[in-house]
Amino acid sequence: MEARTALSAHGLSKRFGERVAVDGLTFAVGAAEIVGLLGPNGAGKTTTLRMLAGIVAPTSGSATVVGGDPAVEPERVHESIGFLTESPGFYERLTAERNLAYFAAFYDGVDAAAAARRELERMGLANRARDKVGTFSKGMKQRLALARVLLHAPRILFLDEPTAGLDPEAARDLRKLIVSLRKEGAAVLLSTHNLTEAEELCDRIAVIRTQLVAVDTARALRERQFERRLRVRLAAGAEECLAALRSEAFVRDARKEGDDLLSVLLVDPDQDRPRLVARVVATGGQILEVREDERSLEDAYLNLVEEP
Amino acid sequence: MRRRIWNVVRMEWTGIATTPSSPLFLVVVPLLLVGQALLLAWIVPRFVSPAILGTAGGDAGTLRLLILRQFPFFVLLIPAMVANVFATLGIVEEKVSRTLEPLLATPVRTWELLVGKILSGALPALAVAWLSAGLFVGVGYALGWGALLRTCLTPAFFLSIFLLMPAVSLLSFIIGVIGSSRARDAKEAQNLAVLVVFPIFALIALQVTGLVEFTPVRTLLLSLAFVAADAILLRAAVRLFGRESIVTRWK
Repeated sequence: MEARTALSAHGLSKRFGERVAVDGLTFAVGAAEIVGLLGPNGAGKTTTLRMLAGIVAPTSGSATVVGGDPAVEPERVHESIGFLTESPGFYERLTAERNLAYFAAFYDGVDAAAAARRELERMGLANRARDKVGTFSKGMKQRLALARVLLHAPRILFLDEPTAGLDPEAARDLRKLIVSLRKEGAAVLLSTHNLTEAEELCDRIAVIRTQLVAVDTARALRERQFERRLRVRLAAGAEECLAALRSEAFVRDARKEGDDLLSVLLVDPDQDRPRLVARVVATGGQILEVREDERSLEDAYLNLVEEP
Repeated sequence: MRRRIWNVVRMEWTGIATTPSSPLFLVVVPLLLVGQALLLAWIVPRFVSPAILGTAGGDAGTLRLLILRQFPFFVLLIPAMVANVFATLGIVEEKVSRTLEPLLATPVRTWELLVGKILSGALPALAVAWLSAGLFVGVGYALGWGALLRTCLTPAFFLSIFLLMPAVSLLSFIIGVIGSSRARDAKEAQNLAVLVVFPIFALIALQVTGLVEFTPVRTLLLSLAFVAADAILLRAAVRLFGRESIVTRWK
């Protein structure tokens, strides 16, 4: 996490009647950091975003977003955040430019017309600025929705399924944009079901299922769930190598998984890998391949959200 | 603050302008009401038997005067009917088009949004109502009813047009917006819209039944009472605007 904190949540909870939507969420997002919110449907991702954006009040707990409490002073917080909602709507009979100018005019110190033109240009919609939004495709509306949340150069972006409904090219462009926004210093909290996207974009990933299940980098989440085993394929000498490796202190476990395949668990998979190779070669083993067992973020995620 | 309210007003007006039926409604309804009042004032005294009028102790002129005197109260129906259409859909349309949540994520305050919605309908409705009153008086004079109209154009008439009418109009629009923010869909909003005409019908009933004579002082006091009711209901409207339930329960 970055040194400066853009937002923090402390025991954030939300109940709707008897139903607990979010339970005791505590986490933080640093400035210029992208954090992904992953969780199954109904896990409380959207409710979390809404609480942090000051649209829904928490039942208990608190949050600090750019120095303000969204439940206490939502308008102040709204000056500094952009919230891309799950189903972004527009005034479909009006033009894209008019839609954006309307929203931009609510922010202090923003030249609404200029901001609308700038963001339409950035989203590649400048040539459709005067067209009614009702004529736009779903992907174009999604880009327009993102343009809307960027009008006032927010310091924190809450993005609820930002690439939903976009074609692969548009989704890729949008991901590039999100990365460029981080470079400009914006913090991003994004909810997504797209694990590839989460892994590609996010500095850290928070897995929630009403409660916070885990929050860490994608790699750390994988490593936490699964051992990093190395597969060593040999042309010859598998038995001798296995015996040699089992006697080494840097090897936690070694086993044979076929005539010519060894599965090895090292104490430190990064530091000890050269020693492993050297030991195998010294024992007379002829190495064809050394590769790490690839476990995907999806495997780790499913493991995390699996019902106990 | 004013900038954000004005932003909402301008957006609503843009919406009205781009919906062909809306400006048409703003023109047709007042014309119908003014036309109906003028027609009644012209036709009824002509076709009521003089014998009947004599029995009642009056003449055709008296009957016409009686009808003309009701006009300031019937013209109140204009803002109420406009409110019925525009105010009651104000928030529901935002829900339907899913623009409400993005809107609530901007720095606009709830009361600014509601006041913007109310003024965007109330201002044109008032303008149209005043134009209608002018049209009514103008046509009345053209029809040769000048002497009768002069007895109607009392201080109470002007107070009712320029003070009571704005206060009652605001009330209608506030009720309409409350209904709109509580409704789950456009149909329910339209059903709740019937509430907006209640204050007007109460006034008409008082006038028509003759229970209350609207002297300038009474008209002034009544207007002030409506202004107070406006302030109270506006606060209630802000409290009743459950942004959370609107966002989370609206599907």
